Amino acid sequence: MMTESEIIERAVVIGNEFGLHARVATALVQTMRRHSCHVTLRKESMEVDARSVLGLLLLAATNGTELVIRANGPGSEQAVREICELLQDDGSNHDGHR
Amino acid sequence: MMDTDSFGSAIISGEIPTNTMIKGVGVSVGIGIGQVVLMERLVADTCPCRILSPEEIPDEVARFEAAVETAENRLRTIRSSIESGHPLDDHSYILDAHIMLLRDKMLYEGTRQSIEKGSQNAEWALSEIMAKITAAFDSIDDDYLKERARDVHFVGDRVLRILLGVSSEKKMHQLPPNSILVSHDLSPADTAQLKKESVLAIATDVGGKTSHSAIMSRSLKIPAVTGLEKVSRLVQTGDTIIVDGSTGLVIINPDAEMIFRYRQRQELLRNYHQSLLAYGRLPAVTRDGARTIRVLANIELVDEVDIAVAHGCEGIGLFRTEYLFIGRPDLPTEEEQFGAYKAVLSLNKPYPVTIRTLDIGGDKIASSLNLPRETNPAMGLRAIRLCLNIKDVFKTQLRAILRAACYGHCRLLIPMISCITEVHATKSILEEVKQELSNEGIPHGGDIDFGILVEVPSAVAIADLLAREVDFLSIGTNDLIQYSLAIDRMNEHVNYLYDTLHPAVLRLIRQVVNAGQAYGVNVGMCGEMAGDPINIPILVGLGIDELSMNALSIPIVKKLIRSISYEDCLELTHQAFQMQSAQGIHDFLEKWIFDRFPGDYFLSQQ
Repeated sequence: MMTESEIIERAVVIGNEFGLHARVATALVQTMRRHSCHVTLRKESMEVDARSVLGLLLLAATNGTELVIRANGPGSEQAVREICELLQDDGSNHDGHR
Repeated sequence: MMDTDSFGSAIISGEIPTNTMIKGVGVSVGIGIGQVVLMERLVADTCPCRILSPEEIPDEVARFEAAVETAENRLRTIRSSIESGHPLDDHSYILDAHIMLLRDKMLYEGTRQSIEKGSQNAEWALSEIMAKITAAFDSIDDDYLKERARDVHFVGDRVLRILLGVSSEKKMHQLPPNSILVSHDLSPADTAQLKKESVLAIATDVGGKTSHSAIMSRSLKIPAVTGLEKVSRLVQTGDTIIVDGSTGLVIINPDAEMIFRYRQRQELLRNYHQSLLAYGRLPAVTRDGARTIRVLANIELVDEVDIAVAHGCEGIGLFRTEYLFIGRPDLPTEEEQFGAYKAVLSLNKPYPVTIRTLDIGGDKIASSLNLPRETNPAMGLRAIRLCLNIKDVFKTQLRAILRAACYGHCRLLIPMISCITEVHATKSILEEVKQELSNEGIPHGGDIDFGILVEVPSAVAIADLLAREVDFLSIGTNDLIQYSLAIDRMNEHVNYLYDTLHPAVLRLIRQVVNAGQAYGVNVGMCGEMAGDPINIPILVGLGIDELSMNALSIPIVKKLIRSISYEDCLELTHQAFQMQSAQGIHDFLEKWIFDRFPGDYFLSQQ
């Protein structure tokens, strides 16, 4: 169990061919709804809240961009893991099959 | 694109000289003459700023939250007023997106924090956050993202108005008759509430031909001009104004003579259309009797068949089936589709009905399919590519079409074919479905015509190979032009390059027609190009067999075909193929028609 004061930082490379676009951003915000921790994503000097679709879109993170995930609060470890998975996903698991 | 400067405070308009003309972009055809109703500009820049005392803060936060809730409820009401089958049905998803944006953390929490921590009043806090977000989006070099800045403004403006107690909505509902709506910009939610009866036309400062509001005004058949830059600063409510959606011209304070002239033009348009209807009943035979062109209609809804028949269609050249699939959480059942196809077939008997199978990107249909979002959907998993990928959905559609084929002359049209493998794959699924229906003892039309939509340049290049495999070819010019000229029609920076009469386009068409003739296969055309009089002589000269178009264009196209001779068309085509530029060809074709029939053909809607 994480203590609330601990801050986790992890780098992740965007795997989706089309970058962090609206659908990925929406999925990320939905993921965050299941967690109560505070998570931000940073690209260079720009840092945004992972709970805002607008913020995520503003990162304009294309395929191959490196982002730094920063989380603190309960369940941070789990949230970061899920976000990493989501961002690294190249979409091949949903290649159009049902 | 968002122009932050243009949100500056309103210019006090002085006396505007009579007949002041400004030019914008005509986005929805027709003429409106009436009195201006000026919608206030976005209010973001005129917000009062005030530092709150600590005890005021909780109430201010509550006031902000209440305003967001009111805005949300209002958007939901507008959203639900668009019923299935409403002309704006296809556009309602944009309202869903706006509802979601209202609660976006950046906008919502950001504003709350500015109130709580910055002691700013709600209007100030929100407008500042909006400006920040807009500026940030604007600095990104991505058109899709830049457009999101406008969404933020539409949504934020709605909340601001509620906070300020200035409603823009009252006007939308209570517009006096004969209103011409003038505004800086019109949000999709604004447009969705317009009453066609009271709004004669729309004029706005910003927006392009492909903005949501432009598309919506076309669906509502309200004449509209956008991109006028400053019209909302020049006019006042009550001013007389003429909006010509065909030419993109707006005339402020017209004098009696100008009004008279435009009334005449309006009347002419109306009578002209009336007198043309008679031609709809006649066959499209060239004057020398050498060629007969079958003229058909493009439709989307079963309800459109009546109007198509009234205008003299000889069948349906393109029945778009997408409307059955979009704007709903689930997929249409086989029975539901069967009902729609059967109805259209029965109503057109004995004429053919060409049913195009699902031509759509994965992002537009049932979310249950869980398809990935694509940044370049035009070149992505759509149309037949998607159908071959979601075989169950495709088979259900084919079953419904095959069953309906018992009730008329049915033709199957497969969109976006780019190689022969797709034809083979489609045919094998079709055979599979036929077999299944036979096994189940369900009656179906076994010998329906199989055709493909030629709209990808590679299909043109192998038109000879494809022609051997099909019963008919149909050229889809909208996509063919877009793909062959590498121009995104929706991109306002390049759409000026979109040229129907580009020599390359004409050569591609010729290649398809030649392939069809070589293998005895009918060649039709169903894009917008087919319904515009200026293109008709050259299409006849190229030897096209069928033209399918918007029902309203049928009478004028038939009239024109009946007035020209095939021999002249051949000569014209020969000459046009010597020319080098789209503009040159356009001018030549226009003059050719004008010299023979002055004033007859360029009054109609495009």
